[in-house]
Amino acid sequence: MNDVSPRLGQPRAAEITRQDEEAGVMLQVRDLRVSYLTSRGAVQAVNGVSFTLRRGEALGLVGESGSGKSTIALALMRLIKPPGVIEGGQVFLDGRDILALPDEEMRRLRLAEIALITQGAMNSLNPVMRIRDQIIDAWREHGEVVERGEAEERVRDLLRWVGLRPEVARMYPHELSGGMKQRAVIAIAISLRPKVIIADEPTSALDVVVQRQIMQTLRRIQRDLGAAVILIGHDMGLMAQFVDRLGVMYAGKLVEVSPIREIFREPLHPYGELLIASLPSLARKAEFQGIPGLPPSLLDPPPGCPFHPRCPHVMERCRVEVPVLELKRPHRWVACHLYQVEEGSA
Amino acid sequence: MTPLLEARGVTKVYGGGLFQRDRTVALDNLSLRIEAAPPTIIAVVGESGSGKTTLARLLLGLTVPTSGAILYQGTDLRRLSRREWRRFRRDVQAIFQDPYEVYNPFYKVDHVLLTPLKKFGLVHSDREARERIVEALEAVGLRPDETLGRYPHQLSGGQRQRVMVARALLIRPRLIIADEPVSMVDASLRATILESLRALTRDFGVSLVYITHDLITAYQISDNVVVLYRGAVAEAGHVEPVVQEPQHPYTRLLIGSIPLPDPERVWSEEQEPSEIGRLADAAQGCRFANRCPYAMEMCLGTSPPLYQTEQYRVVACYLYRENPVLVSEHLDDAFAPPSTVGPAVAAGGAVDEPLSGE
Repeated sequence: MNDVSPRLGQPRAAEITRQDEEAGVMLQVRDLRVSYLTSRGAVQAVNGVSFTLRRGEALGLVGESGSGKSTIALALMRLIKPPGVIEGGQVFLDGRDILALPDEEMRRLRLAEIALITQGAMNSLNPVMRIRDQIIDAWREHGEVVERGEAEERVRDLLRWVGLRPEVARMYPHELSGGMKQRAVIAIAISLRPKVIIADEPTSALDVVVQRQIMQTLRRIQRDLGAAVILIGHDMGLMAQFVDRLGVMYAGKLVEVSPIREIFREPLHPYGELLIASLPSLARKAEFQGIPGLPPSLLDPPPGCPFHPRCPHVMERCRVEVPVLELKRPHRWVACHLYQVEEGSA
Repeated sequence: MTPLLEARGVTKVYGGGLFQRDRTVALDNLSLRIEAAPPTIIAVVGESGSGKTTLARLLLGLTVPTSGAILYQGTDLRRLSRREWRRFRRDVQAIFQDPYEVYNPFYKVDHVLLTPLKKFGLVHSDREARERIVEALEAVGLRPDETLGRYPHQLSGGQRQRVMVARALLIRPRLIIADEPVSMVDASLRATILESLRALTRDFGVSLVYITHDLITAYQISDNVVVLYRGAVAEAGHVEPVVQEPQHPYTRLLIGSIPLPDPERVWSEEQEPSEIGRLADAAQGCRFANRCPYAMEMCLGTSPPLYQTEQYRVVACYLYRENPVLVSEHLDDAFAPPSTVGPAVAAGGAVDEPLSGE
């Protein structure tokens, strides 16, 4: 696994990821770029995103709508559809660059090695098919031919694993509550024991009580499988409760990636700082503090740092020079000119 | 004094008819008075199926109660004269979850702002209308030149929602019923919108019923809170004790389930229902019994009344049966007086200087 990084034409990205390579890296994303080609020009939805994901780790990607977080999920699954296009970058899944794989091979990789759970997935269950048949179908599509008696048993085990009663196997989606449907979706997603699970707002349509149940189930499954999880969303509370490290997205870029405790204790990027300061809590009553200004247009992004028009610490340099995501403190990646690379970090 | 708006023993049942099975009690016998002065913020909190949206629709006269009545200044909504109904429509404004549905996509944003000004005869000239609109947009943090002249789809969700708040500001109602006004917008904008709603109460003396699934914002914004569970009040009263030391097992579950934005305070595990609770039949007794870790024999019989456990709190739970039952049945008898500093002038009047809150 140590030998995953062939020498690439981008010394910067290679430098960034070098120190993580030994630590059981499961997924390595390098300089990922995704654009949507519109009549008014190309929209850079994901603009040079790099990060790594270790075995068994939960990484959060948080950002406002339009920040590119969901596009990353689709790109990692290679499910970007026109007018969207993956313009560049590498995605190494357990050492293999999946962006370079033939379509057929990628199709087999999905679900088997990397699975996606989305907010809308519970509505994409086939309404006229029993849950059992939808699970078996997924297996069959991946060339797993299971004989009937064995299939019944495996479906039952799978359902039990995600906290559903065995009777659910014979039910249709409309007979299930929202929370049960989302559990069924998780069951399908994990049925081939993927190494990476991407959960894009998996609970945002559910009530808080059910949300906690689902997220706790997901965590248990993650541990059982030893899988790595990318949780995508905008709820900082959910991130605080679930992930080990948090990546903050802004205007198609990762602006900070830090361990969850540290980013809440001391966010380094000014956007993350304002985002965390804007969160209402039960601990204190205070005036609501929004972040002044609006996110930039991705069609016509500002020069320099994309956050500079809203940043309280803006300097001259920020208006012209795009900050690079660099290791500024131990374990803390920040794209901001406020910070120098500390001795011993790199 | 006659309250501005009152729910008097309202029950709303959907379905029914021949098959008892299809009958859903969306809201069960709720009584609440909402005063316009001093201005107050009441949060109604519940999950889906709690009846919170039904309550909003009842209070706005958008749906008729199966039994009981909604009274506007003492008169049943169903008996209002045409003139009184018009006044009700001005006094009580709504803000909904997705403001996009409120807009007509073929009209510019200006239209939704201009129409009520004209309809209610609030301005005498186009110039005055324009001035009022600019003032209102700026009050909610929108730049008039970036907002006016645009079509609804050209604005972000957060901008559209703030235009709705600006609209409410223009009409100067005495009460706003806001049903999940910020659940569709991003966190950073959520704060801005909630702050402008709070400013309406503080600076313009508008009362607010804030209906939400989000206990954190409810806690932040309100004086008093009503926690609904499957159509009935579980707990209600002063927001501080209800949120900080919840008494009803459901309120405790709800608060324990909130993903707090604090990695040091981790989620607890959900408690299993008690042995007796597992036997509970949802059709009678306490609605929460089948999920309740403390369910007792008596919880399966009749549903618990509202026990007044503190001056400013009622709890519908037999664990608190040593306390007196709330006599009047009006929830607001257990409400704390509003802490928000209101303006000295009556609602609808001009306010020269915004007072600072807290």
